[in-house]
Amino acid sequence: MIAAVLMGAPVWGQAEFPVATKTLKNGMKVLVQTDHSIPNVALYIFYRIGSRNEGPGTTGLSHFFEHMMFNGAKKYGPGELDKFMEANGGANNAYTTRDVTVYQDWFPRSALSLIYDIEADRIQNLSFDPQKIKSEREVVASERRLRVDNDNGGLMDEQLWATSYIAHPYQWPVLGWTSDIEHWTMEQLRHHFEMGYSPNNATMVVTGDVSPEEIFQLCEKYIEPIPTHAPPPPVVTVEPEQLGERRLVVRKPAQLPLVLVAYHIPRTNSPDYYALNVLRTVLFQGESSRMYQRLVDKDQIALDVSSSVEPAFDPTIVEVVAQPKQGVDPQKCEKAMYEEFDNAKNATVSDTELEKAKNIRLAEFYREMRTINGRANTIGTDEVFFGDYRKLFDAAKNYSAVTKEDVQRVAKAYFGANNRTVSTLIPENAEEKAKP
Amino acid sequence: MKRARHGVHVLALSMAVLFLTSSSAAQTLHMPAHEKYVLKNGLTVLLLEKHGVPMINLYAIVKTGSAADPAGEEGLASITAGLLRKGTKARTAQQFAADLDYIGGEFDAEAGADFSSVSAEFLTKDLARGLELFSDAALHPTFPQAEVDKLLAQAVDGVRGAKDDPQQVLGLYYYGYLYGTHPYGRAAGGDEVSLQRIKRDAIVKFYEGNYAPGNALLAVAGEFNGAEMRKRLEDVFGAWPAHTVAAPSVAAAAPVKGKRLLLVEKGDATQTYFAFGNIGIARTDPDRVAIRVVNTIFGGRFTSELNEALRVESGYTYGASSFFDSRKVPGPFGVFSFTKNETTTPAIDLALQVLQKLHKQGVTDEQLKSAKSYIKGQFPPNIETSRQLAQVIATNEFYGLGDDEINQLEVRVDAVTPEIAKQVIEKHFPSENLVFVLIGKASAIGSAVQKYAEKRDARAISAPGFWPPPSGVIK
Repeated sequence: MIAAVLMGAPVWGQAEFPVATKTLKNGMKVLVQTDHSIPNVALYIFYRIGSRNEGPGTTGLSHFFEHMMFNGAKKYGPGELDKFMEANGGANNAYTTRDVTVYQDWFPRSALSLIYDIEADRIQNLSFDPQKIKSEREVVASERRLRVDNDNGGLMDEQLWATSYIAHPYQWPVLGWTSDIEHWTMEQLRHHFEMGYSPNNATMVVTGDVSPEEIFQLCEKYIEPIPTHAPPPPVVTVEPEQLGERRLVVRKPAQLPLVLVAYHIPRTNSPDYYALNVLRTVLFQGESSRMYQRLVDKDQIALDVSSSVEPAFDPTIVEVVAQPKQGVDPQKCEKAMYEEFDNAKNATVSDTELEKAKNIRLAEFYREMRTINGRANTIGTDEVFFGDYRKLFDAAKNYSAVTKEDVQRVAKAYFGANNRTVSTLIPENAEEKAKP
Repeated sequence: MKRARHGVHVLALSMAVLFLTSSSAAQTLHMPAHEKYVLKNGLTVLLLEKHGVPMINLYAIVKTGSAADPAGEEGLASITAGLLRKGTKARTAQQFAADLDYIGGEFDAEAGADFSSVSAEFLTKDLARGLELFSDAALHPTFPQAEVDKLLAQAVDGVRGAKDDPQQVLGLYYYGYLYGTHPYGRAAGGDEVSLQRIKRDAIVKFYEGNYAPGNALLAVAGEFNGAEMRKRLEDVFGAWPAHTVAAPSVAAAAPVKGKRLLLVEKGDATQTYFAFGNIGIARTDPDRVAIRVVNTIFGGRFTSELNEALRVESGYTYGASSFFDSRKVPGPFGVFSFTKNETTTPAIDLALQVLQKLHKQGVTDEQLKSAKSYIKGQFPPNIETSRQLAQVIATNEFYGLGDDEINQLEVRVDAVTPEIAKQVIEKHFPSENLVFVLIGKASAIGSAVQKYAEKRDARAISAPGFWPPPSGVIK
């Protein structure tokens, strides 16, 4: 039980729990964490394929496969995967990022064998029915209209990445460009599937009401016989250093403006990972954070200000979003944010701020670890992006080791004007635009 | 940025809804032991010890929600809740934020239709400080004028910003058009006009009139020692002065007769967001479990009839669902989806056909069996954390539902027969009487959607308010 194991932690206030691991003969690594507190299981499969493995003309293919993986294979035909899963008490979802595609199954332990049968079927025998492909293209187009065309945050995010990168594949959206969604060929689909969905390109994490022994047995029966093929070729393109600020403006009907700023930072598995998170916590997390205090509370020019970073294999960006109030010039928000970044460069943060940031990270650790779902995702993410799930147990220690000087150093290293890209939405009168 | 296959509920972003999906194969579901007692001042306390994760969750319910907002001052309950942490006897808003963040804690206060809630989460080692912060905000807010002005201005812009994303406001227009002037039609967060009418005096009056121990209950769940917690709660909340509060009551709204349609114009929309339905059920409706089973089949999961038809088979949309937002008295029921401008009427036609099919054909034995497994299998993660448990025991107490709501769920789910399903379809799923709300590009879809209702209304999304249009002029 997780109960017994999260309690230890005399030094850092963080505990360990046992995770059993096994690498199958076909190269897939399996990680199991037992927790009998509810009769349920979370099974996550991380495939190391995402939009960074695509190219011009095939953008969005990884995400499209995330959808197609539910549309029928050999044993479980179109629609049957979901029907069998739900009829046995299970549910599923999946997500795609620039780096990985992750499949999530949540189910009562009684459905264990069925889930393995389904997963094995679709990894090796996915069907490419032209009718399903046609209708799923429409579904993805609808998703794009939902998340990009009719969502200003999504639209500006897409523009931001496309401008921050001029060489590396992170520049195109995970959903793909509309024209690419309309034009992928069957050959491209088949090639992409073969490349991404090889057992040695995947990591499986199982948490919940299971024993490692039964999971490893199921894996030997269902997963181990699946043959491997060549994984995606390495992404060799390195984004050249940004040499000056880039700015882009989108004009469209809207009630509120919006401003996003990106700064290039190293890949996830980098020594600066923890110092960067501490800096972001001090600047952005909670209503006592410097940015909230400045933009929302004191200057009252923004409704909200936040930052985010996604796990990434390659050098990535910190994304900062400020939601200006109506009628506020976004540049006013920019100016205030840049001043706060400068303050973090010119002087170290206070002892209290540093301590606060570490306490916040520790509380977040427990929030992630308290569900079978959160544990499956964290174990998998750390295993895939740091190369070792045990990194999650070192997090509190690594945060504790961050000094005020480290925080100041990363502020100086990454948050300069030459390293940033600014994406601004300027509201345009809807009625005027509607006129021919 | 992550792109998921599904899971975007049309309403998820805009309204706080508590709707438990539901449990597992054998008789396994049971609420962890918890105790209930009442302090001398009338505060009901619920305690649930759950060991394993060193965290504690508090979830308090004040039995007055946005349904009690005065007409024209919608948002009052919500703003009152939002201001609790923005200045107290002991702290300024800034000090409260600093102390809360220092322990990595979370604090949230909001108003739903039936009740307001105040919640907090912190590590067990910070129990003393966490409790003190929670009670400081809940029991001793001072509502400084400057903070009132700030929050109201932010809330007005929050509504404007939400209108830039139709998905965030579809539910607000739909509930408004469905209920009209009935309290359940009100936007809990208020609108651009009503928020500007709210004055500090009204906030203070609302707080003093409703935040009282006899009108509240407090659930505490997590890793703690029961005896120690009782003593601490007595120390902190025992001194909360009792005073009488007249519990607000809401009259049940009668279902809408006939058909009517509201078209909310958004000139740049490339897809139409639509909702239709009628008034649904109360939280304590005796048919609630059977309805849950039928709605799972109809529009409550990925393989539901609605999603199969509108997404899987036709590709019209990324998602289609249906939802009973059950409340103290009958709450809304709706079908929700979106589709590109060109397929607006085909998609709505198809959704209506699915509803008619439900009435004509009912549900099959196989569908029933599947939905029962699904509800039972998916339920346990809903009561996995102390955060969830605190909320579940508090809301069940508020609605007068006991632990049987969970302990008997499997038995009740299994008891649903095709005959019972048929009865609840007839009784609770609308057929001919339907209220439609569409947000979209009127010039592209306006004439085609006239066929759905004789009575039609229209509004521009840029016009302040939702429905009914706010009266009077503001500044």
